[in-house]
Amino acid sequence: MNSEFNKLQSGWESNKKEINLSNDGLDVMYLKIREKEKENYFFYYGTIAILLTTLIVISLFFYYLAPVKETLSRIGVALMISGLIFRIIIEMISIYKAKQINNIDNILKTTENSFNFHAFRKKIHQIIAPTIIVLYTIGFYIITPEFSLYIKFWNLVLMDVSYVVIAIILFLIIRKGVHKEMQKLADILELKKDIIE
Amino acid sequence: MKKNKTELFETIYHKHRPMILQMCLGFVKGDKHIANDLLQEVFISVWKNLERFRGASTYKTWIYRITVNTCLTHIKKEQKVKTYAISEIEQQSSEDASEKTTNPNIQRLYKAIGQLKKIDRLIIMMVLENQDYDSISEIMGISPINVRVKIHRIKKRLETILKSNNDDE
Repeated sequence: MNSEFNKLQSGWESNKKEINLSNDGLDVMYLKIREKEKENYFFYYGTIAILLTTLIVISLFFYYLAPVKETLSRIGVALMISGLIFRIIIEMISIYKAKQINNIDNILKTTENSFNFHAFRKKIHQIIAPTIIVLYTIGFYIITPEFSLYIKFWNLVLMDVSYVVIAIILFLIIRKGVHKEMQKLADILELKKDIIE
Repeated sequence: MKKNKTELFETIYHKHRPMILQMCLGFVKGDKHIANDLLQEVFISVWKNLERFRGASTYKTWIYRITVNTCLTHIKKEQKVKTYAISEIEQQSSEDASEKTTNPNIQRLYKAIGQLKKIDRLIIMMVLENQDYDSISEIMGISPINVRVKIHRIKKRLETILKSNNDDE
């Protein structure tokens, strides 16, 4: 078996020499590095930027345009805003966990960190995101009675029905997210088994 | 500092590029197109982490860790199901065929390595690269004894695959 393997090794070495002759592309490499740095920045902070913008817009809306007066409505606003703040915090934790996955660690550690990250993402999709949406929805609907004093009935119906449509879309997105994370977790577990066994 | 980083990066690039590309080629069954993508990913990681290199291992061992991790991350991307029009698939297939390496012996070896489990492909390629058990154990994060057992098993499996592939041809 060893002599056969030595032959493979020498074939492997000689092919590497051929590869060495076609050495190219440092400029392309630097270009790719710059592109990747931009991509990563968006990957990490894109969602937070969107959530923060939403938070600011909603806060400004309730502060300047529609400052609700009734206690129930105020609770509703608080639920909506605190849900968003909580979501931003969760996204920050998620970024922290994603950054723990580092290619310079050994393979077993990287695999374990990847597992932790995806397990966390699964928990977000399965428990945290639906809870936040439910709280947001309750908040949204308990503002409705006070809004009905200022908005025409049909506009209010349109607003409430369109929210249901958005909720259904969100539900489908979350379900897809859970499935994706479960598949990733299964793949990582299989990989970890292959590494250890 | 930036100049030093650039110089160091370029030294690593020229010195280790053939070894990394060869491993990536072996991992993706000789497909140059995907292997080049992986090679770029590896060097992006090298650039990103160069300042974090503490000298606890050699640059070579450090780069192996990045290469193996990058190849394994590629599994996740590979498993994403994409739908293409038939014409697109045909066009892609012909491009892929032209991108594959031409040396028939090494192509046979890539094919055989490609029939191993993904983690086993990477381990056997480190053995082909003459890495000792201790280095492989450090890269993998498992004990040298476990590495020794694994390598013995993989070599046997590779031998069987090569024999079976030769019989088929």
